[in-house]
Parts: sequence; C-alpha cells; structure tokens
Amino acid sequence: MNLGIRSLTVFFIIFFNISIDASPEKLLREAVLLNGFKSANEINPATNNELVQIGKEFFNSKNISLNGDTSCQTCHLDKFGSADGIPNAVGVGGIGEGSERVKSYGAILPRNTLPLWGRGIENFNTLFWDGRIERVEDYIFSQFGKDFPSKDPLVVAAHLPPVEIREMLVEDKFITNNKQEKLTSAENVFNEIANKARSKEAGPMQNLANFYNIDISEVTYFHIAESIAEFIREKFAVQQTKFHKFVYENESLTDDEFNGAMLFYGKGKCSSCHSGPLLSDMQFHTIAFPQIGYGKNGFGIDYGKYNTTHNPNDLYRFRTPPLLDVENTFPYSHSGSVADLEESVIYHFDPLRYFDASESSELDRVEYYKRLSLATKSELLTVYLSKEEVDEIISFLKTLSFNPKDI
Amino acid sequence: MRKLLIANLIAICILVSYFGYKEIQPALIYATHGDEYKELMYECDHAMREHYIAKMALEQEISDLGIKNLQSTELGLVKCHDYDKKRKLLLSKGLTFLDLQSLGLEALEEKEYELRKFVEIHEFRY
Repeated sequence: MNLGIRSLTVFFIIFFNISIDASPEKLLREAVLLNGFKSANEINPATNNELVQIGKEFFNSKNISLNGDTSCQTCHLDKFGSADGIPNAVGVGGIGEGSERVKSYGAILPRNTLPLWGRGIENFNTLFWDGRIERVEDYIFSQFGKDFPSKDPLVVAAHLPPVEIREMLVEDKFITNNKQEKLTSAENVFNEIANKARSKEAGPMQNLANFYNIDISEVTYFHIAESIAEFIREKFAVQQTKFHKFVYENESLTDDEFNGAMLFYGKGKCSSCHSGPLLSDMQFHTIAFPQIGYGKNGFGIDYGKYNTTHNPNDLYRFRTPPLLDVENTFPYSHSGSVADLEESVIYHFDPLRYFDASESSELDRVEYYKRLSLATKSELLTVYLSKEEVDEIISFLKTLSFNPKDI
Repeated sequence: MRKLLIANLIAICILVSYFGYKEIQPALIYATHGDEYKELMYECDHAMREHYIAKMALEQEISDLGIKNLQSTELGLVKCHDYDKKRKLLLSKGLTFLDLQSLGLEALEEKEYELRKFVEIHEFRY
C-alpha cells in the first residue's frame, strides 16, 4: 500500500515536472549532455600549423609506401567522409577510387576503412576496429610492446599502415626478410621509408628537420608520424553540426530529426553504446552484422578484439564506431557489409531480416550463429523499431554531417 | 635406319615421360587434389583455433565444461594430422612449397569475390 502511494507520488512529481518545467527539447538537450556530447570547440585540440602543413605533404605522399603505390589519402578521401566508400579497403596495386578501385584487383584488406573524424581529441584512446592500439593511463597497448614509439595513440597508429603488407607494402625480398614480428624488423622498414623520403620528399623532410631543429639525416619515421598525426588532428577535427547547433545554440531540428534524436537517446537505447562527444563509448560490442571478404582471420572469419587480447570473451567484439558524419562514411560495419544507414540501424534489433541462408555456406551460417548468439545475449540489444522510427533515427543521424576542412 | 628411328622414339618417350612427370603431373595433382587440400587446411586451422580458444577460456575460468571442451578440441586436432599427411603426399607427387603456399592463400582468401559482388549489387552513390 505504502509502495503504491509512493509510486503515485513519484509519478505526479515527474509528470508535473515534465509538463510544467521541461519542454521535450530541454529534456533531449539534458539527455544529450548526460551522455557526454560536447561542442566542437570543447574537444578539438590546438595544433601547430607548421607541423600540420608538413604532415599534409606526407599524408598525401605515395612515397610513404616503401615499395608500393598508396598514400594515407588513398583510403581517406574527403568525398567519402574521410574513409574510402568501399566495403574492404584496397591497398597496394589498387587503381582509382570507390567501386573502380575494388574492380582494379589491387590487394584487398580484411576490414572496412574507418573515417578519421575526431581522431585527435584528447580521449580518443582506442584505435582501430579491434582496439589494437589502446592508451591506458601512460601506457600504450600496441604491437610495439613496451617500446611503443609515443605516448600519443594517434602517433602510434600512424606507424602501422606503412608496415602492413598489402596495405602500403608489397612483399618483396627485403620485406620477406623483415617479416618476423620483431621490433628490429619494423625498425628496418621504418628506416628504409625515412631514407626513401629523404630522396623523394626532400622538401618536407628538410622542413621536418627545421621544425625539430635537427639535421635531415636525424629525421626518422617517428617525426614523419608525428607530422601526419598533427595533420589528422587539424584536417579531421570535429566541426559544429546541425545537431551541435541544436544542443548549444538553441537552433531547431525538423520533426523527424527531433523524433529520431529522442529515439536515439530514448526508446532505441542507441546511446547506450553511441555516447560521448563522438557518439562512441569506445567499448567493444557484438552486433550480428554479416561478414564479407576473407576477414582478419581468413576463411571469411573475423574474431575482432580477440585478435588483440586472445581473451575468448572478446570474440566477435568490435569497437563502437563514432557516428559523426556517418551519412557519408558508408558502407558500414567492420567488414563494410552493410550498404546503407537503414540496414545498419535494422541490424541492431532485427538482424535476421536480411539473412539469406540460401546464399551462405555452412561455415558462413555457423559463424553467423556465433555472432548472433553473442549479439542477442547483450542487454544493450535495442527494442523493436517501426519503419517510421527507423527513418526518424536516420533523419537524426544526418544532422551529424559536416563538410571536411579545406587544408 | 630402323635402329635410329627406334632410338628417336625412345628418346621422345623419355622426354615426354620426363616432361609429363615434371610438368603435367604436378599440374594435374594441383587441379585434382587442390580442393581437398584447401578443405583440410581450413579444418586444421579451425581445429587449432578452437583448441586455442578453449585453452584460453579455461585459463580464464576453470570448470568441468571448460575441461571437457578442451579435451574435445584436443581430439579435434587430429584433422591437422590428415592435413599434414596430405601436404607430404602432394610434395612427394611433385608439388612445390610454392604451389602449396599458393593453394593456402587461395583457401584463406576465397571470399574476396564477395567484395566485388557486393559492390556490383549495391553500386554505392559515388
């Protein structure tokens, strides 16, 4: 009885508080802030323009690819929201952009290229789909072990693509001889890249030497990586979106956008994982997305974070992707197997809607059941959403779009 | 004259046999045993992974089910014995390590075609 009266009292307090003091807009803004959303000005780091300009040269240079033909820019293009617009990245030997690149028979990589938005913000501590670079306090977990080259995870991340076979390296005799997973072999490749840059990118290398006040012969790949990271911080800095303006400048959203945001932070429970300034909790979860391509583990399998930790609890878990400019960073999921936003939202609560058993092999199905069982175990699994609600969420997601900086 | 003809024929037979042994037989072996080798390679790879995952799971938490799981996956490793036998057989029949590497790569990356099919179906709005 007492409980009933108390519940009724709480109901009246909440009801009258909501109806008298709080408009739905105000409630949404509160929920958004409660979930860690921040304005672009609050999170963008200060950068050094001189280093940014040097980094731009290296970011766009194919000479960072020791014996191949790819640059960072090859897979991080403005027109695709700083990603490459294709399901799995195509590395060395690839020609052109978008579908043309897939058809060019370059070396296919096992995962979808991640966009670079907001990679420079202070708390972006977990990089790549499987979190193979992760900062915990002053330590960086990475394939460099305790000899990580920098305490800045973005600088460490800028060390990886140039030593990845297929991504920026062709496997020739030198690479085969240095293929062992030893720091010294990676060091050999980095030294060769720096040597190549000294002859092919003499201007930017001299600028780097001047910037660090060292002789050009002392410039190493570490300095190149620092400049690339600085460029990424500036070029792909978060910009005020329509949604930022709604939250911080009291600008309005359309009805669909507003309803979508209410669903995102409310009924849909999307913000359980898509929270924080970039709409990612930086944690690892399983969504039963289909797998395409050969996968990080071969045979069409990708174990996700397990590949980094070897902890069975991490099987098929991937880091929550940030959602800024998500409209332009298609296709979606770790293997780029989801073509558009509608499918992507639906896979979160109704993954079997698109599953076609007749189109898959026995192995594919068994692998899918494993991912599905983990995904459905999650308490974060969202509720059913109608077609109209899915469309509204997509309208909201489109308020997170912005144009890249022209640097 | 006849002796010369016979000698020529024998020489041709030897050459053809040698060429057949060195070139045609490996190509035939590659074509006829390739799929089985790829299948066994997958089976062994899968068995090893399952075994390692079971081992790591047991390290995390010791349980009867975990022990049984590890024992089962240990028995499952027998697939690697079959794979190893097949590998040695193919080497003895004239395939080189490079041939086997090439088959292995084909197996590992068999699903590359899906990517191109996916792009064709969806033709993203570029």
